[in-house]
Amino acid sequence: MIDVFSYVPAIVLLPFFSFLIALGVGKYLPKGGAFGGIAATAGSFLLSLWVLATVAGGEAANRTLYYWASEGGAGIGPTDIELSFGILIDPLSALMLVIVTLVALLVHVFSLGYMNDEGETGLPRYYAGLGLFTASMLGFVVADNLLMAFMFFELVGLCSYLLIGFHFREPGPPSAAKKAFLVTRFGDYFFLIGVVAVIATFGTAQFAGTESFPHLAEAALAGEGSVAWTPAGVELQTWLTVVGLLVLGGVVGKSAQFPLHTWLPDAMEGPTPVSALIHAATMVAAGVYLVARMYGFYALTPTTLAVIAFIGGFTALFAATMGVVKDELKQVLAYSTISQYGYMMLALGAGGYVAAVFHLTTHAFFKALLFLGAGAVIIAMHHNEDMWDMGGLKAKMPVTYYTFLAGSLALAGIFPFAGFWSKDEILYEALVHGLNDPLLLGGYLMGLLAVPVTAFYTFRMVFLTFHGEARSDTARDPEPVRWNVKGPLTVLGTLAVVTGFINMVPVQKVLGLEGIDLLHLWLDNHWGGIEGLSSHHYADIGPYSSGYLVGGEVGTVLVGAAVSLGLALGGLLVAWRLYNVPSPTEHTAKLGGIKDVLYNNYYLDELQVWLAYRTEDVAGGANTFDQGIIDGVVNGVSSVSLFGGSRIRRIQSGVVSQYAALLTLGLVALLLALGLSGGWFL
Amino acid sequence: MVNTLPQVAALLPVFLLAFTGLALLLVDTISPDTRSNTSMAVVGAVGSLAASAASVWLVVSGTGSPDTGGAITLFAEAIKVDTMALFFSAIFASVTALVVVAAHDYFHDHASPAAFYSLTLFAATGMALLAAANSLAVVFVALEMVSLPSYVLVAYLKRNRGSVEAGLKYFLVGALSSAIFLFGISLVYAATGSLLFGGVAEGIGSLDGLAGIAGLGIVMIVGGVAYKTASVPFHFWAPEAYEGAPAPVSAFLSSASKAAGFVVAFRLFTEAFPVGASLAAGIDWVLAFGVLAAVTMTLGNFAAAVQEEVKRMLAYSSIGHAGYVLIGVAALSAGGSANGSVMGAAMAHLLVYGFMNTGAFLFVAMAERWGVGRTFEDYAGLAKRAPVASTAMAVFMFSLAGLPPFAGFFSKYFLFMGAIDNGFLWLAAFGAVNSVVSLYYYSRVVKALFIDDPASSSSLDAIDVRPTGLYAAVVFAAVATVLLLPGFGPVIETAEAAASALF
Repeated sequence: MIDVFSYVPAIVLLPFFSFLIALGVGKYLPKGGAFGGIAATAGSFLLSLWVLATVAGGEAANRTLYYWASEGGAGIGPTDIELSFGILIDPLSALMLVIVTLVALLVHVFSLGYMNDEGETGLPRYYAGLGLFTASMLGFVVADNLLMAFMFFELVGLCSYLLIGFHFREPGPPSAAKKAFLVTRFGDYFFLIGVVAVIATFGTAQFAGTESFPHLAEAALAGEGSVAWTPAGVELQTWLTVVGLLVLGGVVGKSAQFPLHTWLPDAMEGPTPVSALIHAATMVAAGVYLVARMYGFYALTPTTLAVIAFIGGFTALFAATMGVVKDELKQVLAYSTISQYGYMMLALGAGGYVAAVFHLTTHAFFKALLFLGAGAVIIAMHHNEDMWDMGGLKAKMPVTYYTFLAGSLALAGIFPFAGFWSKDEILYEALVHGLNDPLLLGGYLMGLLAVPVTAFYTFRMVFLTFHGEARSDTARDPEPVRWNVKGPLTVLGTLAVVTGFINMVPVQKVLGLEGIDLLHLWLDNHWGGIEGLSSHHYADIGPYSSGYLVGGEVGTVLVGAAVSLGLALGGLLVAWRLYNVPSPTEHTAKLGGIKDVLYNNYYLDELQVWLAYRTEDVAGGANTFDQGIIDGVVNGVSSVSLFGGSRIRRIQSGVVSQYAALLTLGLVALLLALGLSGGWFL
Repeated sequence: MVNTLPQVAALLPVFLLAFTGLALLLVDTISPDTRSNTSMAVVGAVGSLAASAASVWLVVSGTGSPDTGGAITLFAEAIKVDTMALFFSAIFASVTALVVVAAHDYFHDHASPAAFYSLTLFAATGMALLAAANSLAVVFVALEMVSLPSYVLVAYLKRNRGSVEAGLKYFLVGALSSAIFLFGISLVYAATGSLLFGGVAEGIGSLDGLAGIAGLGIVMIVGGVAYKTASVPFHFWAPEAYEGAPAPVSAFLSSASKAAGFVVAFRLFTEAFPVGASLAAGIDWVLAFGVLAAVTMTLGNFAAAVQEEVKRMLAYSSIGHAGYVLIGVAALSAGGSANGSVMGAAMAHLLVYGFMNTGAFLFVAMAERWGVGRTFEDYAGLAKRAPVASTAMAVFMFSLAGLPPFAGFFSKYFLFMGAIDNGFLWLAAFGAVNSVVSLYYYSRVVKALFIDDPASSSSLDAIDVRPTGLYAAVVFAAVATVLLLPGFGPVIETAEAAASALF
C-alpha cells in the first residue's frame, strides 16, 4: 500500500516549485508562468483529496520529518528541546488542505482572466507571489508544532505584503502593504513571545501526541503531571491563560479582529484574486485555523475562551456596521470578511469548535466566490469599483449575477444556502453555552445583531451592482468576461449552495435523523483521527455546560434558527425596499452624525495613527535619554580618558631619573599600603 | 613524556633554542666578513620552529601533566617542566620564529645583522628556562638572561639616536628593577630559608613573626614581575623602548618578553607564595596585583588613546594588555573554584596576544621598511596599495580590541568570566570599560588604513617593495589569530589544565 502521507510534503512543495519557476524563468513562459501555478495547485489539490480520502479511511499522521536543532535534545535551555519540521494530518488539517488548494487553484485560473487578459505587467512576480503564498499557507496547515506554524505564519504575512503591494508604482498599494505588514507584525510580536513561552513552559511545541503541549497542560492542570517551567509566583492556570492570550495576539492580527482589523480594508489595494485568496483561504483564515489547531490548549482556560468569544462577537457586529455605508464593492466585502471571521472567533470562544470549522469552510467558498464575482464585475466595469456607477448588470452578465447572488445569500445566512447552516450553528452554540455565562451571552447578542446588518449590506451591494438601471456608460456596455472567470465562479457558486448540507445539525435535531451531521462526525474522529484532537475531547475539557430555552433542545434549535433567519430576512427586506428600485439614492444621510463615524471606520485608523505618534513621543524621549544620558556617559568617558591620557603623556617626560624616582615612590607606596594593612611593621 | 627518553629531554625546547643561538654564533664566526643575513635568518627560523614544534609535541604527548606522573624535576629540583612550562615555550618559540622571519627583511640593508639573530635566540632561551624555573635563583638568572640581550636588541640600530637612547633607558630602569627583585629574593630567603618554590611555600606557612620581612620581599618580587611585564609603576621603560627599538624587537619584547614575566608571576604566586598561606600570614599580594591590574590597564589604554604615532599607541596598548593579563593573578582567592580557569584564561590570552600583537608590530615594521611615516595620518589609504597586509592589520586591531569573531574576543571573555566567577566583578568591570576605550584607538588605525584618503597622491609611492618575509610573518600571524577562534577549545582546555595543576 502506498503511504499517502509521505506525499504530504509534496502538497506544500509543488506551489513552492511553481514560485521558483515563475521567479526564475517566468518571463520566458507563456502567460507569465500561470500554467505552472495552475498545474502545481491542481496537483496539490488532487493530493489533498487523496489525503482526505485516506483520512476518511481511518488513517492519520503525526510525524516529525526533520530536526533542525538539537536532535536528541542536546541541552538547550532548562529542558531538552527539539526543534523540528513535521506534518500533522488529522481530519481538521485534511479538510483545510482541500479548501486551501481548491481556492488557490480557482484563484490561479481566475487570474488568467483578471491579470493576463487585462494586460497587466509583472506577471511572473505575481504568479511567484501566489505560489509562495499558497505554499506558505499549506505549510502552516500541515505544521505539527507551534514553532513551525509560526514560521509559515510569518511567510504568509510576507507574501501578503508582496501581493498587496503588487502595483507598487501607484501610491495606494505600497502604503496598504506596509500597513498590513506592520499591523499583523504587531500581533505576531505577541505570538512570538507566546511561542517562546510555550517552549519554555512545556519544553515542546508539538500539537499532538502524549508529549504535546496541550496534553501536558491538561495533565498538569489535572494534577497528573508538571510543566517544565512557570514564572515564579504565577499560578499554572493564570500562566496558561497568559500564554494563550499571547498566541492570540497573532491570531487577532492575522484574522483581522478588533482592534487589529484596520489593515484588511486597505489590503483591497491588492489585485482582486489576491483578495480572494487572502480572505477565503490563506492569510485571514490562518488565525482562526491556529486557534482550532491548538484548541485543546485554549479549551483549558475559560478566561481565554471568553476573551476570544467577546472579541469575536464584537468584531462581527462592529465590522458589519461599517460595511453598511461603503460605496466600493470590495470595501463592503472587506468589512464582511472581518465580520465573518468575528463569527468564527465567537464560535471558538463559545466552545463551538465544529461550528467554527464549519463556518471557516463555508465562508472560504462563498467569500472566494464573492471576491471573484466582484473581480468579474471590476473587469466588466474597467476597474471602476464604485457601486454608484454600476447598476443593471444582471442582464449583461448572468453567470456572474447568479453565482454572486448565491454567495450573497450564503453570506446573509438565508436558508438553505451554506452560510445559513454554519452561522446558525455558531449562534446556537453561543446561545446554549451562553445561557450560563453572561459574557458569552453578550457575544451572542452582538453576533445576533450583526445578522440583519450583514443581510442589509450584502443585498445593498447586490441591488446596487446588479439591479436597477445602469448609472454609467461602462455599466451600460460592460466588458465581457471569458471562461476562465466564469468557470471558477460556477464551481464556487455550486459549493456556496451545497456546502451547508455537510452538517445539517438543526435538521438532525428536529427530525431525529442520525448521521447527517457529517462534519461533526468527521471532526469527532468518527472515521479515525488522532487521539486527543477530537471535538468530543475538546467538549470534555472545555468549561461550558449547555442550557436550553423553552422546549428543550429541539425548541431552542427552532427558536434560534427562526430568530436568526427572521432577522436576516428583515435586513434583506430593508435593503430591498431602499435599493431595489430603478434609480436608488443614497440613504446614508438619514443616519445623521453616525454616518461620518461609520464612513471613517469609527476613527480607528486615526486612533492608531495617533497612538503611533504617541509612540513616537515615547521613542523621542528614549532618544533624548540615549543622546543625553547614555551618549553623555560615553562621551564623558572618552573625554575623561583623553584628558587623563594627555596627563599621563606628561609623566612620560623622557627623563630617566624621574622614571627611577616615580618607580621607587610607587613601590614604596605599595609597600606601605600593604604593610600597614597587613600589620608587618608591628 | 615518552618513557624511552631520558628525563632531561623534557627541556628539549630550551636546548633547541640554545643550540640554535650557538649555531648562529658559529656561522658568524666562520665567515665574519660576509653578509649572511639570509642564512642566519633561515637557521634562526628553523631552530625556533623546531623548538615550537618540540613544545607542542611534548604537550600533546602529555609530558609533565598529572596524567603521566606529574611535573618532571631536574637538577636538584631547580628546574621543573610541566604543561605550563611547555605551553609558554610554545608561545616564546612561535613569536621568535615570527620575529626572525620578519627581521630578515627589516635588516636587509643593515651592516651587521648577524648578532641580532643570536641575541634573539638567547633571549628566547632565557624565557623558556624561566618558564621551567623552580627556584628563585634560577628565576633571577633566567630573567637576566632575557634582559641583557634585550637591552642590546633595543639599541641595535646604533646609528639611530632614538634606538640607543631607548636602550640605555631600558637598561637603567632594568638595573634598578633587577636590584629590587634580587633584594626581594634575599628577603624571602631570609624569612623562609629556601630558594626552592616548594620550600618557600612551606616557609610561608610558618613565618613566626617574620611576616613583615617576607611581605616586603614578596612586594619587591611583585615589583620585579611588574618590570618584566611592563606594568605600572615599572612601565616607564616600555613606551620608549618599544618606540625606539627596531619594530621586530618591539614585537619580541611586547609579546614574548612580557609573557616571560607573566609565567614567572603565575609560577611564583601559585607555588612559592600560595594565596591561602600568604593571606593567612597577612601578605595580601592579591590586592597588590588587583591595584596594579586596574591602574595598569587604565593607564595603558587612556594613554594609548591620545597617541599620534601608531607604534607608540601599540606600546601603550601593550601596557593595557598587561593589565588584563594581571587579572589572571589578581583574581585569585583562597580555595576559589575558578582559580584555574581565570589563570588559564590569562595564559590563553597571552598566546592569542602573542600572535596578534606581534603581527601588529610587524605591520609597523613593514611600514618602517616602506618608510611611509609613523603617525596615523601617514597610514592613511595604505589599504589601497597593500590590501592584504592592511586586512591583516585590521584583524589584529579588532582582535586586540576584543571584538568577535576574532580570537582576542574569546580569550578576553574567558578571562573576565573567570574573574567574575571568582568574585572579582570589579576587575572584570574595569577590564570591560577599558576594552571600550581601546576600541577607539584600535579602530582609528583601521579607519586610517581603509577609509581615510592619503595626504597626497604621491605619499603612497614609497610602497615600492614587497618584503616577502615580513609579509609571510604578518599573514601567518593573522591566519593564526583567526584560526585560534575555531581552535580555541583545545587551547583554553590545555591552558586551564596547566593552570589548575598549579593549585
